[in-house]
Amino acid sequence: MLPSLDEIDVDKIHGRDDDARKRLKREVDVDMNPMVDLAFLLLTFFMLATTFSKPQAMEILVPAKAKDTAEIKETPVKESKTMSLVLKENEIVWYRGITEPETFEIAYQESEILKILAEANANTTDLVVLIKPLPSNVYADLVLVLDVLSYSGVERYSLIEPSEFDLEMEE
Amino acid sequence: MAMLRNIKTKPKLDMNPMVDMAFLLVAFFMMTTTFRLELPEEVLIPPSSAEVKLPERNLATITVTKTGTVFFGIDNKFDRRELLSRVGREFGVTFDESQLNTYSLMATAGVPVEKMGEFLDAKSNRVHFDQAGIPITEDSQLFYWIRNARAVNPNLRFAINADGETKYPVIHEVFETLRELGVTRFNLVTEKTESDAAKS
Repeated sequence: MLPSLDEIDVDKIHGRDDDARKRLKREVDVDMNPMVDLAFLLLTFFMLATTFSKPQAMEILVPAKAKDTAEIKETPVKESKTMSLVLKENEIVWYRGITEPETFEIAYQESEILKILAEANANTTDLVVLIKPLPSNVYADLVLVLDVLSYSGVERYSLIEPSEFDLEMEE
Repeated sequence: MAMLRNIKTKPKLDMNPMVDMAFLLVAFFMMTTTFRLELPEEVLIPPSSAEVKLPERNLATITVTKTGTVFFGIDNKFDRRELLSRVGREFGVTFDESQLNTYSLMATAGVPVEKMGEFLDAKSNRVHFDQAGIPITEDSQLFYWIRNARAVNPNLRFAINADGETKYPVIHEVFETLRELGVTRFNLVTEKTESDAAKS
């Protein structure tokens, strides 16, 4: 038997009972402020602790050290094909060849280094650039020279110990 | 009646979207963050136009400060534990569990092996601990750090993170140490700059 229409409480079926509704509302009301505080605190922390600028790197290759001296295979290079860059404290001394060369001086400036490298590279086939940092040299200058070399088009360059001739320039 | 009710209800702000956003950002930063190296001295890396990205894994970093103090660290937490106990064994120093744990959380350290225990035990004073640097000249300890690091992780790549004002002889020693161990390919960490000459 269906209940008569008078017996059906429509409000109750639809949850429209006033008391029930109030009770329900009170339960749902969560204070979110502490959570927000915490979220922003963490956010601030991570934002400050993180490093965004990923450092770039330059790759360098050095010849392996031979276990004993007999193993060293020296590649002969014609003197005329070499170009030495002696890195001094405030300037670069460069010269072609090895015996009694004529030396030139340039400043640590990208454009100048590039100019001499490009010139030497253009009129010498198989140019070999020898980089000889003196003890007074700082790391940033070496990086600058290596950087210019990397895009100058010079294919062969190596980092070597300065010779006596170069060391005399230290004063 | 309707007007009266409007006045009574307090204005409510729906904070859910804001919380969502805040947590989204927190999650993002937690995932992407790599913590800054904690060094007693700032290292200003030199600029260059190089564009090679440093590998994120299997990376050993040799940090050199302006004054020539050398720090060494590898990237993996578990490898670090192994590395420290190996290096300790080589120098006849043993480290206890808590010291190993402390070291495994450190990105880099620059203390001679003899002082490592003291350094790791110096809880809150560690920041002010005088890190003398890893000896590189006579009986180079850096040599042992690198050799053992390679034994722990053979795929390790090396990056030199040196201050631009470091004097060349220090860098030279580091290069030579790497060469001696057969590491002929390594990276120099630099800061990318737009160079005019490179563009043309």
